[in-house]
Amino acid sequence: MSGQGSGLILRLYMAVFFVYMFLPLGIMVAAGFNAYSPPSVTVWQGFTLQWFGELWADQRMWSGLRNSLIIAGAVIALALPMGLAGALLLGRLGARAAGLLYTVMVSPLLTPGIILGISTVIFWRNFEVAGGLFTAILAQTTFVASYAMLMFMARLQRQDATLEEAARDLGATPLQAFRRITLPFLRPTIVTAAVIAFLQSFENYNTTMFAIGGQHTLVTEIGSRMRFGLSPVVNVIGIFFIIATITCAVVWAILKERERCAANGVSA
Amino acid sequence: MTKLRRAFGAPLSALIVFLAGIWILGLIAAPQIIMIEQSFWTMQRPEGAAELSVKIDALYNRLDVLALDHAAAPDEAARAAVDAERDAVQTEITALEVEESTPVKTWTLSNYGQMGKAHLAIFAKTILASLAVTAIAFVVCYPIAFAIAKLEPPRRAAMIMLALVIPYAINELLRVFAWQMILNYGGPLNAALGLVGIGPVPFLESGTGVFVAMVYAYILFMVFPLYNVLETLDTNQIEAARDLGAGTIQIHRRVVLPHARPGIAVGCIMTFMLSAGSYAVPYIMTRGTADPWFTQLVYNRFFQATNWNVGAAYALSLLVVCTGFIFLMMGLLKVRLRDIAK
Repeated sequence: MSGQGSGLILRLYMAVFFVYMFLPLGIMVAAGFNAYSPPSVTVWQGFTLQWFGELWADQRMWSGLRNSLIIAGAVIALALPMGLAGALLLGRLGARAAGLLYTVMVSPLLTPGIILGISTVIFWRNFEVAGGLFTAILAQTTFVASYAMLMFMARLQRQDATLEEAARDLGATPLQAFRRITLPFLRPTIVTAAVIAFLQSFENYNTTMFAIGGQHTLVTEIGSRMRFGLSPVVNVIGIFFIIATITCAVVWAILKERERCAANGVSA
Repeated sequence: MTKLRRAFGAPLSALIVFLAGIWILGLIAAPQIIMIEQSFWTMQRPEGAAELSVKIDALYNRLDVLALDHAAAPDEAARAAVDAERDAVQTEITALEVEESTPVKTWTLSNYGQMGKAHLAIFAKTILASLAVTAIAFVVCYPIAFAIAKLEPPRRAAMIMLALVIPYAINELLRVFAWQMILNYGGPLNAALGLVGIGPVPFLESGTGVFVAMVYAYILFMVFPLYNVLETLDTNQIEAARDLGAGTIQIHRRVVLPHARPGIAVGCIMTFMLSAGSYAVPYIMTRGTADPWFTQLVYNRFFQATNWNVGAAYALSLLVVCTGFIFLMMGLLKVRLRDIAK
């Protein structure tokens, strides 16, 4: 009785919430195709692809993209080994030391991004290193390594310890056992962690903004263009980001579904 | 450490300790420590600078006298003696002037006192607004998360969450920019208000826009943690409570909310931290017309006023508030760090 009524209200509420979540994005996409500048949906001057062409010819966006890719590549190369080392270290420490170390290692995730950025710049200023790509890489690595550590830790907890022991009993050196047993076991997580690290680095604004000095990435450049919202070129970039996000979400869902099917197949 | 060596052998253990050490000490700890240190000192005129300058003035007078002596000197020997003294005085003046003008590092709390009333008000506004964003996000999202997790069939729930990943994963800047367009003078909202004869309302210039965009940008950071914990709640518990005569409010207060504690903690901590530490939202939503957010003050201390000591003090104040909020939530909801960082 009352359960039916409140269920209906909840459904309605959820529908409103979905409109609230998606309508603003729809408006932004629509303005990217409007021949009117500054970006608008209230003044419609016809469908155009003109802004796609302007984006293509925009040199600062291209240099920003290049910087973003350089930073993301370096962050992956640094954060994954560091995160893995942290996770391996945690597994072999006493409870007290591990607890303390864990707190330190997740602390970057609980620190506002601007603090990570600015503290890196302050630190390197003492060595006469000004803000730029280098400090942006280090500042991002600080927290991306935390994500990697958590992912590796979760994976390592599911590792069958007897496999490594068996390898050792059969005469493998610790290095061989690690290379032949642990590393292959971690491979799926390495891939996932690299993807997450790439996205975290590429999309980052706050930390990068405070660490990058006079340089720019694609995202910091978009930020400064948006402030004055002068040209629908930013809307076009938004369209690309939305397409990329949807693609990632769908691929991720398909992979998960396959994993689920595979698991069911084994049990059946 | 012996456990580590037994498991991985000496070379690999050394590499592990090296990599983890660089991360923990070099990237996490050292920058924070240097920032804290920097916030507690300032470069000042040396102590006794006033006395020094009196002394230097006296030496300059002596130099003038010596110049007269030089002109009035009866012979070469006397002139050489005067010249020697003049050179000595000149050297002393140079040394004292360097001492007077070289600032010395002075330990002080004054960087924290630099805020003044105006900046303190912005600091307080930023924290209160962030708390309000957090509260609104929780009130709006709790029913959503509950409805998806407990009222929808599992496969439909998974589809709904997948759909929500899209606005959640899309870059924060785009979510903010969408609202800048909506709330702008010529935007759709003012156009709609104009039809009923209201406005145009200066949403962006009044700072309302910052708040609206912030709720929109960070609200999904509340939905996902809440959904994740509510999904693990056994529906039988709710049924049992209902069979035992509990009303809807009682079920939520006694069964659902206690189960959701870790999710509430994560959601509130993330929402608050992102709001209080947000630079993008106020930067894009005000165009410099409304009062700044505290993060913008921090940015300006560093990159416009270039007073790094005061900037460090400002940044640390923000960090202390955010850390305090984490401990508050952990204490109130009785959750541990391990439940939060997953």
